[in-house]
This record gives sequence, C-alpha cells and structure tokens, in this order.
Amino acid sequence: MEALGELARGFAIALDPFVFAMLTLGVVAGLVIGILPGLGGTSGVAILLPISIFVADQSTTAAIAMLAGIYWGAVFGGVVTSILFNIPGEPWSVALLFDGFPMAKRLGKPGLALTLAFTSSLFGAVIASVLFTFFALPLADLALGFGPAELFAVFMMAFATLVGLESGSPLKSIAMIGFGLLLASVGFDSITGEPRLTFGQIGLLSGIGFIPVTIGLFGIGEILASAEEAGVKYEQVAAKLGLKDLMESIGHLRRKFWMLVVNTLLGFWIGVLPGTGATPASFLSYGVARQYAPEKERANFGKGEPAGILAPQASANAASVGSLLPMITLGVPGSPTAAVIMAGLFVWGLTPGPLLFTENKDFVWGLIASIYLGNLIAFVICILATPFLASIMRAPYAVITPFIVLASIIGAYAVNTAMKDVFIVIIFGLIGYWLRKMKYPLAPLVVAIVLGDSTERELRKALIGSGSDPLVFFGSPFAAALSTIAIALFLLPLAQYLMRRRARGRAASAGPSEPPAP
Amino acid sequence: MIAAVAMFDTRGGALPDPEGGAPGGLKGGWYPFWSAAIATVALLVVAYRAGVAPGSSQAVFSGREGVMSVLALIVPMIALVVLMDRLLGLYISGALYLAWFGRAIGRYRWPWVAASAVVIPAILFVVFESFFRVALPKSIWYTLGLPF
Repeated sequence: MEALGELARGFAIALDPFVFAMLTLGVVAGLVIGILPGLGGTSGVAILLPISIFVADQSTTAAIAMLAGIYWGAVFGGVVTSILFNIPGEPWSVALLFDGFPMAKRLGKPGLALTLAFTSSLFGAVIASVLFTFFALPLADLALGFGPAELFAVFMMAFATLVGLESGSPLKSIAMIGFGLLLASVGFDSITGEPRLTFGQIGLLSGIGFIPVTIGLFGIGEILASAEEAGVKYEQVAAKLGLKDLMESIGHLRRKFWMLVVNTLLGFWIGVLPGTGATPASFLSYGVARQYAPEKERANFGKGEPAGILAPQASANAASVGSLLPMITLGVPGSPTAAVIMAGLFVWGLTPGPLLFTENKDFVWGLIASIYLGNLIAFVICILATPFLASIMRAPYAVITPFIVLASIIGAYAVNTAMKDVFIVIIFGLIGYWLRKMKYPLAPLVVAIVLGDSTERELRKALIGSGSDPLVFFGSPFAAALSTIAIALFLLPLAQYLMRRRARGRAASAGPSEPPAP
Repeated sequence: MIAAVAMFDTRGGALPDPEGGAPGGLKGGWYPFWSAAIATVALLVVAYRAGVAPGSSQAVFSGREGVMSVLALIVPMIALVVLMDRLLGLYISGALYLAWFGRAIGRYRWPWVAASAVVIPAILFVVFESFFRVALPKSIWYTLGLPF
C-alpha cells in the first residue's frame, strides 16, 4: 500500500494554496472553453500553454494541475451545449446528443439530463483515477501490446454495436455507416497522399471535418425539424430544483452501477491506448449500454434514456483520465489533448517516462491527486450551475433559435477559421432535416464520420505491418478475440431477423395469414 | 446516387492489389469504394423493401404551413451565411439576423430587438476576439479601421 502513502503526499501537494488556485483556474477556464462552441479542450490547453510556463517557474505541479484542469473542465463543459442546444461542445460529447438532448427537450427534463451527465462524469473520473493510482505502470506496458490490428477491431466493435440503433432498420444503419465512412475518406489519403473524391475542388483536399457535419446534422437539422413539428412556437420546459435531479441521478446511477463500472473500465482502457482518446470511448460505451439494455429500455435509446447519457459520459471522462497515463509513464500521449499537455512537460524541462515516477515523485503524485480534486471541483461548480443552465431552455423561441444558429456557425468556423465549414453546417443541416424525415438514424452516420479516418488508418497500418496478410486481424490472442466479437455483433441483427422470419413463417403456416411487418 | 458517383470515382482502387506497389496491398481508393458500395447496396435493399411494403406511403411534409415555417428558418439562415462571407462579416450580419428574428418571429418591440442585436454580438466580440483571440469573419469595412 505504498501507493496510498504517496497519494496522501500528493494531496498535500495539490492542496497547497498556489497549486489549488491554479487547478481551480484551469477547471473554470476548461468549463468556459468546453461550453463555447468551436473551442475544444485541445485548443484550450494549447492557448494557455504559454501562461503555464510562468506558472511552472513557481511550481511545475501547479502548471500541470492547471493544464490538466482545463481538460477536466472541458470534459464537463462540453456536456452543456450538447444537452441544451443539440450542438456538441466537444467531440467526446457528440454521443450525448443521442439521448441528452431528447431528454432535455422532448421529456422536458434539462436539469436531470445535465445532472446525470455530471454525476456519471465524476463517477467515471473517480474510478479511472483509482486505476491510475494503483496500476499506472503495468497498464501502460499492457497498452503497448495493442497494435493497429487490435485497434481496428475495437473500432469495428464500436460500429457493430450501433447497427440497428434508434430501433430503426439495421439496413438503414448500415447505409448510414457506409455513407459516414465515405465522407470521412474525402480529401488526402493519409497513407499514399493521393487526393480522393475531391472532384478537383481544392477546398475538399483537407477533407470534410466531422465537427461542422455534426453541428449541421444535429444543431441545425433539429431546429428545422422542430419548426415544422410545432410551427414556429416554443414548447415550455418545466424547471425543477437541482437537488431533486441530483437525488434522481444518484438513483439511476445505483440501478445501473455495474453497467457503468464496465463502461468506465472500457473507457479507461480505450483512453490508455495510444492515439484514441475519449471520443471513440464514448461511442463504444453508448453502443454497449444499448446492446446490453433490457428489451424494454432498448427501445427508449435515442429518446432520452438515462443509461444513454450515463454510459458515454462516464466512459468519456474515464478515457480522458486514462489518456494521461501512457503520456506520463511512457511519453506516448493517449489523446490529442494529452499530446499538448506533454508538450508542456517538455517546455518546463521534464521528460515523461518511467523515470518520472522515481525522479519527480512530487510532480507525479501531485498530478494524480489533482485529477481527483480537479474533477470534484468541476462537478461542484456544474451542479451548482445546473438550475441556471436548465433555465436557459425556457428562454423564448425567438431568442434561443437565432442564438443556436449563430453558435453553430461560430463553432464550425472557429475550428479551422474557414468559411467552407460554415457552408458544410448549412448543407448538412438540410441533409439532417431530410434524413430525420426519412427516418434514417443519425447516430451511426456521425460515429462513422468521426471514427472513419482512424479506422482506415489502423486497418491499413495493420496490413502494411503484416505484408498485406488479412490474417493479421486474428494474429494475436487480443486481436482474434476482439475481431471475433466484432463479427458476432455485426451478424447479430441478421440472426435476429432470420429467427423472427422463421417464427413468423411458422405462425403463418399454423394460423391465418398476417400482414408483413414494415 | 452520391454513393454511386463515389464508387465510380474510386473504382481504380476497388480491388486489393497484393502484388502491386501500394503500401499494404490497398490503394487509396479501396476504402472509399467499399464504403460507398456498402451504402449503395443497403440503400437499394431499403428502397426495394419500401417499394414492396404495402400501403405505408405517407406525405413527407405536414401541409403547407409546415413547409412555410421551415422555409422561414432556412431562407434567413442562408442569407446570414451569404452576407457573412466577405461582405458584412459575422458581427454585422449576426446583428441583422438577430434583429430580423426578434421582430418578424418573436414580434418583440423595437427597443428589445435593437438591444439584443447590439448586446449579443458585442459579447461574442469580447469573448472571441479579445479573450480567446479567435478571429471571426469581419466586414469589408474592417480594412478601413472598423474593428468588426
């Protein structure tokens, strides 16, 4: 139990007034950055990197606490715009659009949706921090055994769990996945450098970014769809006091405890894997939560199901904690944000790697303690702010709608400062509206656009590494197990369909004929 | 249809090429081609099943009123984006958009409309341009010294 003693020392360091103040500052900045559209945790950390150099002159622990604090704050803050406005504040809060916004708007429970997300975020962070505290070095070694073939299988699992999502036809989901993968492949091929599907347009060489596509599909698409449903009127959302929502969230958390533990572990592990991060973790957990939900609950996914908020958010936060682990222990960042934080370490004169644990004990344990504290601070601020945030949903339609449109446009523009992305928002807003009308599920499309690039990269890296031998996906025990699970998950809807058909055939031959299901 | 065009454009890389010079035996076009193929096949089956399913056809739009309320949102949104690009910038066109929305759809009084059209862009300006140094699109008068 040496780790416990070290952790206690870490808390003593993190509770030093200067370190604590910098941590709080980082968390608050992260919350603002997370809420603002177009500014992500990665760019937030990058913007404040120069300031961290001055802080590091006083204490490197305070500097890392501040930068990591921005990360925790952004994980919590990204929740807000996803749930209230259907615009993802951060890539890893895209999965919250599927159930968070429906709960806030259709069920009229914005406070509960926010509180569920914040509570599960803290839950994920705490479990992940405990894993970080006790198993940092062995986990990092294990993660290095994960090559492109294993990562490709993990991404395939994420897609497989989404087939048949939103209780729609699995074929429509598959079509949407194909369409999403296609959109993701527009632009330069990252391996050979040849332009693909650009049709001679220079603007398309850099590809179609998933942020403007998601903002368009969900933010603008939803506005257009709801305008027609209700005319241009506003539906009132009941406001509730925060405490009741908190108790209800804890109740949901207790009922779904083991499901959440599994998803947190899953998220943490994906975060630890190099180069993945919180976004694929949140999607995979959403799919897993839905796949293993009882039949009755599964139909509620996409319509405001609490588990659809709890699982991805716990997983996303666990992954963001996990992504710091290989960065600190091996010098291999687990996510883009962790990569920018690692740049900070170099600037302050520290070299990440196993030696850090022996040579800079105070720094490492101060950081680990600040993970617990930073997430706690973010949670307390968010819970206190929830009644105020939820009341935004009651603003009149004519105020909130143009605001969402402006926020969508700024969010898309600010990522690359390109008007092209603004046009993409509008075009995909119309596409999203049309897809809603045709009852096509949007979630598989978005997941495919977000993960498409990484999936292709890992697939081709695996094939290059193996001399184009497709058996590489079954080459190691990990890869074989993951690939088999992914294939089984893909075949599941087909098997269910065939079984239903057989049962129907039997019923039809036994009794009078019934109309075929649509 | 989009997927079919994409399949045609990337047909050169459709087949795996283990003997050729492509890294890993796959050319750049392999992945988009098969993504498009998945989408096309799935959509064809969906279309076929929709064609054979009896009597499930439904009007796509819920009446003329529904179409008008959607158009009332789309047209100003497109106007906003067109004006914003190289003409009025985000702040001025945003103010006009807010004013139009507040007056035409919200039916607010002019003082409220004017206040929201000034205050919201001003807050955006301070947050993005001053705090976070994110340059959002400016108007054609920016080069003449106007700050937005």
